[in-house]
Amino acid sequence: MSTIDFLDLQKQIASSRARGLWTLMIGYRAIYVGSMVALALSGIAKTLSFLLLATFVDEALLTEDVVRAVALIALSFIGLALVEGAFSFLSGRLAAQTAEGVTQRLRNFMFDHLQRLSFPYHDKAQTGDLIQRVTSDISAIQRFYSEQVVQLGRVLLLFVINFVALLSLNTTLALSSTIIVPFIAIVSLFFFRRIEKAYDDYQAADAKLSTVLQENLSGVRVVKAFARQPYEEKKFDHENSSRFAKGRRLLSLHSLYWPVSDILASGQMLAGLMLGATMVMRGDITLGTFLAYAGMIIWIVQPMRGLGRLIVQASTGLVSFDRIAGVVREEQEPLKEGTQRPQTVQGDLVFENVSFEYETDVPVLHDISFSVKPGEIVALLGSTGSGKTTLVSLLPRFYEYTSGRILLDGVPLTDYPKEVLRDFIGIVEQEPFLFSRTIRDNIAYGVDRQVTDEEVIAAAQAAAIHERILQFPQGYDTIVGEKGVTLSGGQKQRVAIARTILKNPRILLLDDATSSVDTETEAEIRGALENLMSARTTFVIAHRIQSVMIADQILVMDKGRIVQRGSHDELVNQPGTYRQIYDLQARIESELEKEIASV
Amino acid sequence: MSDGYHGFEEEEFAASMDRRTIRRIVSLVRPYWKWVLGFVAAVGIVSFIDAFLTYLSQQLIDRAIIPRDEVVLGEVAVQYIIAMLVQAAFVFAFIYLCGILGQRVQYDLRKKMFDHLQGLSLSYYSKTPVGWIMSRLTSDTERIADLVTWGMLDITWGVTNIIVSLTFMMLINWQLGLVILVLVPVLVRIAIWFEKRILSEYRKSRKANSRITGAYNENITGVRVTKALRREKRNLEEFSELTGDYYQAAFRAAWLSALFLPAVQLLMAFGIGAVVLFGGIQVNQGTMTIGGIQAFIGYITFMLWPILELARVFASMQHGVASAERVFSLIDAKADVVDKPTVIDVGTIRGDIVFDNVQFHYGDESAVLKDFNLTVRAGETIALVGPTGAGKSTIVNLVTRFYEPTGGRILINGVDYTDMPMRMIQSRIGMVLQTPHLFSGNIRENIRYGRLEATDAEIEEASKLAGAHDFIVTLPKGYEEEVGEGGNLLSVGQKQLISLARAVLANPEVFIMDEATSSVDTLTEALIQRGMEQMMNGRTSFIIAHRLSTIRRADRILVIEKGGISEMGTHSELLRQRGHYYSLYTQQFRREAEEKFEAEAEAMMEEEAPSHA
Repeated sequence: MSTIDFLDLQKQIASSRARGLWTLMIGYRAIYVGSMVALALSGIAKTLSFLLLATFVDEALLTEDVVRAVALIALSFIGLALVEGAFSFLSGRLAAQTAEGVTQRLRNFMFDHLQRLSFPYHDKAQTGDLIQRVTSDISAIQRFYSEQVVQLGRVLLLFVINFVALLSLNTTLALSSTIIVPFIAIVSLFFFRRIEKAYDDYQAADAKLSTVLQENLSGVRVVKAFARQPYEEKKFDHENSSRFAKGRRLLSLHSLYWPVSDILASGQMLAGLMLGATMVMRGDITLGTFLAYAGMIIWIVQPMRGLGRLIVQASTGLVSFDRIAGVVREEQEPLKEGTQRPQTVQGDLVFENVSFEYETDVPVLHDISFSVKPGEIVALLGSTGSGKTTLVSLLPRFYEYTSGRILLDGVPLTDYPKEVLRDFIGIVEQEPFLFSRTIRDNIAYGVDRQVTDEEVIAAAQAAAIHERILQFPQGYDTIVGEKGVTLSGGQKQRVAIARTILKNPRILLLDDATSSVDTETEAEIRGALENLMSARTTFVIAHRIQSVMIADQILVMDKGRIVQRGSHDELVNQPGTYRQIYDLQARIESELEKEIASV
Repeated sequence: MSDGYHGFEEEEFAASMDRRTIRRIVSLVRPYWKWVLGFVAAVGIVSFIDAFLTYLSQQLIDRAIIPRDEVVLGEVAVQYIIAMLVQAAFVFAFIYLCGILGQRVQYDLRKKMFDHLQGLSLSYYSKTPVGWIMSRLTSDTERIADLVTWGMLDITWGVTNIIVSLTFMMLINWQLGLVILVLVPVLVRIAIWFEKRILSEYRKSRKANSRITGAYNENITGVRVTKALRREKRNLEEFSELTGDYYQAAFRAAWLSALFLPAVQLLMAFGIGAVVLFGGIQVNQGTMTIGGIQAFIGYITFMLWPILELARVFASMQHGVASAERVFSLIDAKADVVDKPTVIDVGTIRGDIVFDNVQFHYGDESAVLKDFNLTVRAGETIALVGPTGAGKSTIVNLVTRFYEPTGGRILINGVDYTDMPMRMIQSRIGMVLQTPHLFSGNIRENIRYGRLEATDAEIEEASKLAGAHDFIVTLPKGYEEEVGEGGNLLSVGQKQLISLARAVLANPEVFIMDEATSSVDTLTEALIQRGMEQMMNGRTSFIIAHRLSTIRRADRILVIEKGGISEMGTHSELLRQRGHYYSLYTQQFRREAEEKFEAEAEAMMEEEAPSHA
């Protein structure tokens, strides 16, 4: 993974926010500190230019060779501006490098982390919530580094630099001109707590309005069928008005805060100017000192007005960090643990007293024992919730069995690293998931090497989908999914089969692959599946007799137990669930015939 | 699906600043012209006072400090205080006026669009994605409001600032003023150059960002496949390319922005240098004052901000105009099913419904119905069966007049239904959809939607008739139970029962139902059947049917295939024909029998082993 900028946060993430945010900056800390130093240097250059103004008035204008002295001052002004600009740019660039670099690494980590979290985690997680965290919350962290910290740093640095410079000019002037600063900071924080609250209310009203709108649009038939347009208009108007009211409150707070803080800031500046003016007139300070003072005081007082906003915004960045850290702390499933790394396996499987529970004391599988020879077909028959899917999910170790053991070629499954094990296993799900990329890429998705077109076509032919693919205008380059062509259930199913054929696994898991398609497609898929099953150890999940008749071994399952086992011929000739199902299907046929005959 | 959506891609910028669009935008704020005038005046005054305060500090230096005149010092202080208070008042005024006008404009636009949408025909909804409409009412209205408020404000402020600053400079020293004047166009050029590049990088980063979101989405929804196929490493490699693209664009945009301000400031420094040099010499010669130089430096800084903002404001104005064009396109959309100028409200749609040579096609597509003829007697129940996409829903959509025939006529009680008011027809039809739509709120409110003035007792009565009452009272809050957004806290079966109750309450003259294909549990299924019976009794009913019991109960069954009736008759007649109906029926028979068996078997197991529950 040398080419990818990657940081394993799992090992690094700390419990406290401050330390966590510091951890995220590993590798960028020096750069970020450099950005702050540059920010300070840029501020110092600016302050120096005010001091230069003092020299200009107090000394340059009074020298013999005025032109030369003034020209020197003018050049120095430009020079200082150049220094100020250069450091300001450097600071911005370094901060951006840190913010973008840290979040790029965080995005990469989160992406990888999500695909390495366990099945039980994903079973419970909400997609929308996770997306929210990896998009908006990461953006909030990005702004935290690139804007909020930098701006807070700027306010504080400007304050310190200018204050120190003022002290060097005149202590009384410096101390008296900062009296108001804590007040402005407090008022600012006071207002922005409320503004933030008002903003949340406004957002909530906005969300409610969107809900009403969305429900109206998606329920347009209902609205029309009941001719409820006037009612809907009233409902919408109600939420629209409420949003307006919340917006007005938010705006009122803003329109109060800014003039109030204006008066505070300008009042302080006026007081300072008057004090300074009196001091010049009394001869305590020079005119130049006064001018420098007048320039610097602005940079002490004005930035303080935004302090409240900055603190409130930075706190939202911290909340976002917590939400990210919550996901980061989840355990990944280990893919590499295990000692057995064979090139290939035979596919000989033995289940010995295997039990499994998702949650403690809620058993899903009880005491399952059976064995399968390489190349055999095992069918699992049973109703929904009988544990068929769970049982096959234990083979790729999507879930870890809680007691007993499973042997693959005589070796416990847990001795194979998951990444090795999963390479030997192919799965065709009931509703296969395809990715929004080309059909070719989807077929080649499961193979970790360059795949030739011939191989892809061969797999598609074996899956009985090649002809259909050629009918698309873009053929194998057709993009499927949301942004492309929508495939029918049967077509998706066959692309998934082609994907599995190309992967060429030793063990095959077919989860009710023909249940959701019509009769005609079913026949085609069945042919494709037979191609796939040859010479592989295969597990077939089904709930119709027709799908399990060819199996070497049929396991009838109920409530997490195997209630019957044997071949079709054996099972049909003994009393039990299998016979009942078989009889029932016969009974259905005869009832149907009777009914048709009766009309 | 993809082909039809090209027209709905988001354009960021308006192709051109169309004069008609601008005029329509202006018309949005015309009712509030006093507000606009108010904030424009307020911000102009604020800008003027800013410049005046700088002028005061010149007075302070030249007329108070240097001549040591305490009287003038006092005068300046008083003027400063007054100016400051007046300015604060006007700051309050412009934020308040501008902000609230913005909210008002959004409110108006949303109301106007929403009300307009209520009148549009179903054809508009079927070709326009909901997300597209949503964006028009949300983000686009915000952008338009910003354009007519803060956009206007920024421009006024910027222009006043530049003019006032230049005027004051000219008054103090016109030669130096001219030097600064020369700098302005250069600055504007630089600002535009930067803003263009920053915007283009920013747009690239936004595109990369939406690809990243898409990748995350697939990563999470497809995680099981990823794990099974062991794609983790390659997925990460592919994803890191996306984040790499994003980094490139975002970083470039960020450092360009970081360069922008210093670049402009540096140019300004040359201006200040010139002021110091020439001003200094003039001070020495007595033709300029120190206060004047100080003021000059102040005014130069003043002009800096509007120029920095200029390009950004212009870009957001373009955004605003593009938004307005999209919003106006929604407002201009015409309903294609509208009442004729003169209609007769007969107050009832009881009676025979006749399809007389009906033709129908959606938009430019090929015909869905051809020469369709059908007479439905009052009170008759018609079951529509057949494959998806054959035209079953189209027939129902024509009965409800969501669409009108493109040829032929539909007669109700002998009268062409386009001679009747649409509202009259629709308010007398009760409809239950396949995936029933509920609104956020509680169950009672949802049922009341059928008849707004119904009492609680009537609502319960309707629920009992529809078979919904029993399950409702088992819920913790009964009728007060919240159904969640779109009703998603309830099961499909429960939603269907509630929408049946809603239809019962409306007491319609014609009943239409689209049966669910997805299986609901047996008990709920039985309740739904009972509710449907209740509705079909004595009402002309059209049922898009999937269940055998519904089909068998119908007075007549229509097998719809490829836009026409392929078979028609009673259940036994059609079975004897051994045609399409026969194969559809036998297939469904097997499916339902299996379902029934599974349910029975499960119930049996429950009784046998209650300890495992």
